[in-house]
Amino acid sequence: MRDMSGGLRRNSAILLAFVIAGALFVFGTIYAPEFASYAHIRTILITASFTGFVGVGQTLCMLTGGIDLSIPSVLAGAALVTANLANGSTAQLAWIIPLVLVGGVAAGLINGVGVAYAGVPPIIMTLGMSGALQGLLLIYTNGGFAASPPESIVNFVTGDTVGIPTDVLVWAGIGAITAIALSWGVFGRKLYAVGTNPVAAFLAGINVKRVLLVPYAVSGLTAAVAGILLLGFYGQAFSDMGNDFLFSSAIAVAVGGASILGGRGHYVGTIAGAIVLTLITADLDVLSLGTSAVDISYGVILLAAVYLGGRKLGRRRVAG
Amino acid sequence: MSGPDIATAAHLDDGSGDAAALGARHDLGPGMRASPLARLGSGNIQLVMPYMYVVVLGGAILCLQPRLLTGPGAIDALFSLVVPLALVAFGQTLALMTRGVDLSVGGVISLVSSLLATQLNDRGPIILLEILAVIALGLVIGCLNGVMIVLTGMQPFIVTLATWSIGDGIAFAVLPIEGGTVSPTLANALTGAVLGVPKSVLIVAALFVLWFVVRRSRFVRDVTAIGSDEVRAHLLGVPIRRRKIQAYAACAFFGSLAGIYLTVQAQSGSPDAGDQFILNSIAAVMLGGASIFGGKGSAASSIAGAVAFLLIPDLVFALGLTSFWSIFFQGFILIVAVTFNSAVQHRARAAA
Repeated sequence: MRDMSGGLRRNSAILLAFVIAGALFVFGTIYAPEFASYAHIRTILITASFTGFVGVGQTLCMLTGGIDLSIPSVLAGAALVTANLANGSTAQLAWIIPLVLVGGVAAGLINGVGVAYAGVPPIIMTLGMSGALQGLLLIYTNGGFAASPPESIVNFVTGDTVGIPTDVLVWAGIGAITAIALSWGVFGRKLYAVGTNPVAAFLAGINVKRVLLVPYAVSGLTAAVAGILLLGFYGQAFSDMGNDFLFSSAIAVAVGGASILGGRGHYVGTIAGAIVLTLITADLDVLSLGTSAVDISYGVILLAAVYLGGRKLGRRRVAG
Repeated sequence: MSGPDIATAAHLDDGSGDAAALGARHDLGPGMRASPLARLGSGNIQLVMPYMYVVVLGGAILCLQPRLLTGPGAIDALFSLVVPLALVAFGQTLALMTRGVDLSVGGVISLVSSLLATQLNDRGPIILLEILAVIALGLVIGCLNGVMIVLTGMQPFIVTLATWSIGDGIAFAVLPIEGGTVSPTLANALTGAVLGVPKSVLIVAALFVLWFVVRRSRFVRDVTAIGSDEVRAHLLGVPIRRRKIQAYAACAFFGSLAGIYLTVQAQSGSPDAGDQFILNSIAAVMLGGASIFGGKGSAASSIAGAVAFLLIPDLVFALGLTSFWSIFFQGFILIVAVTFNSAVQHRARAAA
């Protein structure tokens, strides 16, 4: 019974996000017919995928009422370390990529231990982590820039597999795993329980601290994945390359219907949120509007999405 | 609710408003006050720590490279950086004390900076009007934050994130790249020294004094009560909505002052001047020992936290390391300080 209402609640907010995405797409197409061309849709999906990757970790963190602000540093770190170690050649990638992914998980685990076991508020813990990591990166790379990534990574991100962009296929795979884990997995159920009410979850026999550890570890992993792929997409790595993802990930999750208080939301919503954000930028591009308009509309859309999502919840609470 | 209940609650509320301290005092029995030492042990030590950070960091710099602090103009250079961060941290303390956070100060500073650098002319008294206008703009943004937070029930994090983004967006439209000009008259008014004391030091000292003037005020006590326990504060008759709106208005007010100082001092504006102040102000407040769970904080300690935060680059320089290490240490010290605060709070809670 409770599960059913939870599912419905998730669906209505997620549906709204997809409707917004559809409206934005139609709007762009009316203004510029080539908006709906295959090449453009392909670009939109690849661009959205990076927010989508970091959105996996951010969704899990926000489901527990937390947030991961260290995503930009982990992402830039993964890209810089990969580019530096590989030094333009593909030969070593077989051990470099696993190493970088493990590094991402390790950074996330430190966050998780701080949040779950030391009781440090997530905003502060991940903020401090981000600063410390950013400093280490600048020291390691002596300024934080690396060009000429391995050709294979560039080809992987920009290439196609069976006619579909490989990067989008990877996103679909990771997205499916996340969505299934949240909807049908035991862990997903524990995550929602902890996010809704940690005390009740504890009384129900859930190891709350261990559950809280996982979202941050996953977030470190997905930020590292995004970093390696973005290295291929940009063709270079720099210490600020993750900055845009700090809030675009949080906004995508919020637009996708999640509550920042935890316990409500789903990765399917985050997918819609990531697409909405990318479409806003693309629409404004069609209208020849730049950074300024993007910033303003991100703010407005965030307020609108969270307000509408919250209002529905409020009405149901009154009704129930 | 019956009369005696309210009296008991009111009696309990007269004090720091800290739940752990209340518990401790309750154990001592009615009418008895915990000794200053016990109160220090029960959590207030966090508010003393930032002064220790300043002493330790300053002492280390004095041992390694005394000229970084004693050289000509060294103190003025340091405090010119402290002034805007201390201003933002003052406001951020109030927001954090209500269990909120204000990310929009970044947008306010950027907006003020870009407006001043493009609109400010050297035409006499009209400068004052323009200064008042940007302060009023800051207050309006702060009130909007507060109103949205109390009326819609949206999280402060979300609301102020959105207004930060909107503020930065407008700033970019006003001033697309760093630049602009600011009247040298204003720069002269805010920089330099009075009787041999740099004005930057005087401004920070004035902020410090301001906190000790307002900390016993109705407003700060109400804000503390809201942060400790909103339901209890409501039962005690604290006007929660009004106080929260005022807290965000105050935060944006200090943000616009920081924007004015920053722009006038640099004599040019930048559309993303404010972005670094969001995280740095939270770090300063955390180093200052305020609890992110609300109900505890001291703007004076936050100012000390800001000084400590800005001493780190000097120490890194004194140690002969590249400047990148200061970014590492600023993040590292934030984690250490907050872990320490959490540990003290957990112990205090367990003891109570």
